[in-house]
Amino acid sequence: MSENSRALKLAEANQKLAHKRRNAKEKWGIVLDTSKCIDCKACTVACKMENYVPVGFYNYRIWVAEDTHYANYPTISRSFQPSQCQQCENPPCVHVCPTHASYKTADGVVMVDADKCILCKYCMTACPYDARYESHSTEAIDKCTFCYQRRDEGRDPACVETCPPKVRVFGDLNDPNSEVYRLLAENEYTVLKPGKGTKPKLKYIK
Amino acid sequence: MSLLKTKLNRRKFLAYSGGTLAAGAMASKFSTIKAVASEHGKQSKESGSKTVPSACAICVNKCSLFADVKDGVIHKLNPNHNFFKSRSMLCARGNVGAKVPYSPDRLKKPLIRTGKRGEGKWKEVSWDEAYDYIIENVIKLINKYDNRSSIAFASTEGLQEEFFRHLTSVVGSTNSVRHPTLCLASNIQGYSSVYGTLPDADIANAKFVVMAGSNRAEAFITPDTIDLAKKHKEQTFVYLDPRATKSAAIADKWFPIKPGTDMAVVLAMINVIISEELYDKEFVNKYTHGFDQLKEHVKENTPEWAEKESEIPADEIRWMARKFAENAPASVWYPGRRSSFTANDVYYRRACAILNAIVGAWDRKGGLIPKSGISLKSHEFIFPLFGRVKSRIDGGKVSFAADVLPEYIKSNKGMPKDEVAYLSEADGSWVLFRDAILKQKPYPVKGMFVYKQNPVESVPNRSKTLEMLKSMEFICTIDIQMSDTAWYSDVVLPESTYLERWDPAHSLGGVAPVVIFRKPVIDPLFDTKSMKDITVDLTERFLKKDEYWVDAWEEDKAYMRDYVKTFKGVPMSHIIKHQLSDYPGAYKMLMEKGCFYKTDKIPYGKTLKEGARLKTKTGKIELASVRYPEAGLYALPVYQKPSEAPQGKYRFVVGRHAQFTQANTQNVPYLLEAYGHYTNMLWIHPKSALKQGLNDGDYAIVKSSVGEQKVKVHVTEYTRPDTVFYLHGFGRLSKWLTNVYKVGASDAEILEDYAETISGNALLHETFVEIKKA
Repeated sequence: MSENSRALKLAEANQKLAHKRRNAKEKWGIVLDTSKCIDCKACTVACKMENYVPVGFYNYRIWVAEDTHYANYPTISRSFQPSQCQQCENPPCVHVCPTHASYKTADGVVMVDADKCILCKYCMTACPYDARYESHSTEAIDKCTFCYQRRDEGRDPACVETCPPKVRVFGDLNDPNSEVYRLLAENEYTVLKPGKGTKPKLKYIK
Repeated sequence: MSLLKTKLNRRKFLAYSGGTLAAGAMASKFSTIKAVASEHGKQSKESGSKTVPSACAICVNKCSLFADVKDGVIHKLNPNHNFFKSRSMLCARGNVGAKVPYSPDRLKKPLIRTGKRGEGKWKEVSWDEAYDYIIENVIKLINKYDNRSSIAFASTEGLQEEFFRHLTSVVGSTNSVRHPTLCLASNIQGYSSVYGTLPDADIANAKFVVMAGSNRAEAFITPDTIDLAKKHKEQTFVYLDPRATKSAAIADKWFPIKPGTDMAVVLAMINVIISEELYDKEFVNKYTHGFDQLKEHVKENTPEWAEKESEIPADEIRWMARKFAENAPASVWYPGRRSSFTANDVYYRRACAILNAIVGAWDRKGGLIPKSGISLKSHEFIFPLFGRVKSRIDGGKVSFAADVLPEYIKSNKGMPKDEVAYLSEADGSWVLFRDAILKQKPYPVKGMFVYKQNPVESVPNRSKTLEMLKSMEFICTIDIQMSDTAWYSDVVLPESTYLERWDPAHSLGGVAPVVIFRKPVIDPLFDTKSMKDITVDLTERFLKKDEYWVDAWEEDKAYMRDYVKTFKGVPMSHIIKHQLSDYPGAYKMLMEKGCFYKTDKIPYGKTLKEGARLKTKTGKIELASVRYPEAGLYALPVYQKPSEAPQGKYRFVVGRHAQFTQANTQNVPYLLEAYGHYTNMLWIHPKSALKQGLNDGDYAIVKSSVGEQKVKVHVTEYTRPDTVFYLHGFGRLSKWLTNVYKVGASDAEILEDYAETISGNALLHETFVEIKKA
């Protein structure tokens, strides 16, 4: 089986799983402490392996950006911002999709039904986070699914699981006993581009 | 919605909707490569999913992992959450291991060279043909030079390396040369002279950490890397490096230290701690030797003096010293993982070890901790005692030893001029070893086996290494890919990758030891073997040649027959069971949990117990060495001012990147893209770039006394104006490393081949380069 057909098979399996989980009550989210990030790229590579994202700079579901505040030798400060689809509660990509290929699962994960996608790229234009890319494997727009294939097994998404300093914590934002809930209660946090009104479920600890 | 039941293509949709959109398909550079890869190799007949425990081999850390295998194909390698040493992670390289067996650039069959060396003409042969060729050449060389040591054995490390070492013994050569003198030999020597061992650091519990040069965020991702990143809000982390690497991102302070002056800072910190009486008096009295000598020795090494040397402000050095003492014993001057900088390296490492000792930050929570291990049972083999053997080519008195020292240190009394003072019998000294081969002093070495090492790219002065290879009558390289050294070999044997083979159990020493092993995640895709099989097969064939054994006893042959019997056809699982037989339940734990350990708690204070002795002459922590003066070396670390860059030249420094293991993984497309570029680039400060008339993106010629390379220019504030850098492992000579062949610049090509003569380590920061616009 080629890598492309594996990617397609995974996409189809995730649609089925989303249907199976149509009564799910969780609200999945990720809390990030980017101050721990050393830009080692374990997350981006793990994502590519887990989700059959093809090699190439323009194929990515997640990424790490460098935030240079100022660089004037020798007064230099470096920091990194890992990011991905913000899994918005109010997702513009879903709103603009003319074929309903982009949709939100019961547990709030924004996914793309490859069967319905016509590669019109409205969603790519609408996304304020540049979180989507065109996949030649599925011939559809592809994006982060929080590794939806792992939901039934209760496993963390690949990026979360593999991260050396554990920059990301994944969990149910509705569950008061979850680690993510605790982190948000104990820390000040922000979201990316709050002005866009997208209500991201990725929360960045300040 | 009936429209959407079948898959619409974009063209159809546009026809329905009448819209127009710009197409923006971006073809991936590597998409064709991957298609080719999947067509090669044996198709697995397995179906369904399975999870297999094993361990990574992409770097030396050997992190335990669980492989997800679907229909006989590796889907994903995941971290093993039982393996506390990796802190539940698998790094970028570990993840990309899933693709390693499927690389189109893999060696798939034994190869014998048909064209000229380095021409790249090969014929595929059977294993039998390859073995016959090897046996014939080995016997020819031994007879011709009447010396088994005329064949050298080069290797790095790894769980199969012990079988390569066995092969060395079966051939009977004394000339093995390993990675440490391109790596940490000086570090081991420096720390061992103080503590009798090279310790680890208890970073997870340290409160104040100073790291000089070692770039933990971008080199191997170790427990230390992770603990530093996790704890950076709670601990103070001071980072000294001419470059603002990614480690600087998690540091509280970054000082762009002048290269080669680190020891001045350490001595000044010792000076402050002693003169302000901040040291741990009780600890010093009870556990150390030579404090009074040390006190006298550092009297002149004030922070003001060190500021002039290092360009780190005296007040900052004073602050570091006070904080270091205040946080003790939870203070660490980071000991690990860096190759030698300058000729004074052993003394520098000694100074670092001493700094930790005087504040009592030894074998206590948050300080330096001696490594522990879990001892495994081993098979005791008696290898032949051959007659036709000579002692190491780089051992004992070496008439040209002083030639490898940089000029400015030659008059230094603390540097041996006629030998390597503490040469390791197993490891040798790469730089001297190569010189000895080229000079044929004291005897000719004309054959070479290379396992997993790539001296062409890893030993400074690439032209010289090529010259050495040219002087060989026979070279056999064993690897999974066509390394540059394999490229210049006569016979190349393809090894099975770490995901296709069993490897014996191995105890990973450290602050808390743990045992790992490997079992095949998939069956071998190609006609490959493990190093174990290769050694056993060759031994079996040597046993059939009577002329091979003329300088051995009959019993030796019998022992070797036993050796073959021990391994041939015996499943590795039996060998692992034997290794673990002292620990009930260990084998089961290893197979199920992927690792075996007794405790994940750090055993503090073993060396501080009543009656405990360190492996030093006095049994104490030797601030002043007792052995060194006996060998004509300084008892205490004497600072040596590094040489200044000649007019118009820059100091070239080396370094690593989180995506690349030495020169091993640059050819992996996923890692090149995670690195962010498809080539390496010259880091040069804007002021220096202006001086040289260079703009970002230009190409420059970087030239030293031994070679030159053309490289793309990256103008950046992240380096000192007097220091330039480009990444290791690019500009390769092997055409079968398709993504990095002649891409970017090789550092081995321009590094001058200096070494220090205490441990024999190569010196990687003693090269000055000219830079011109290409």
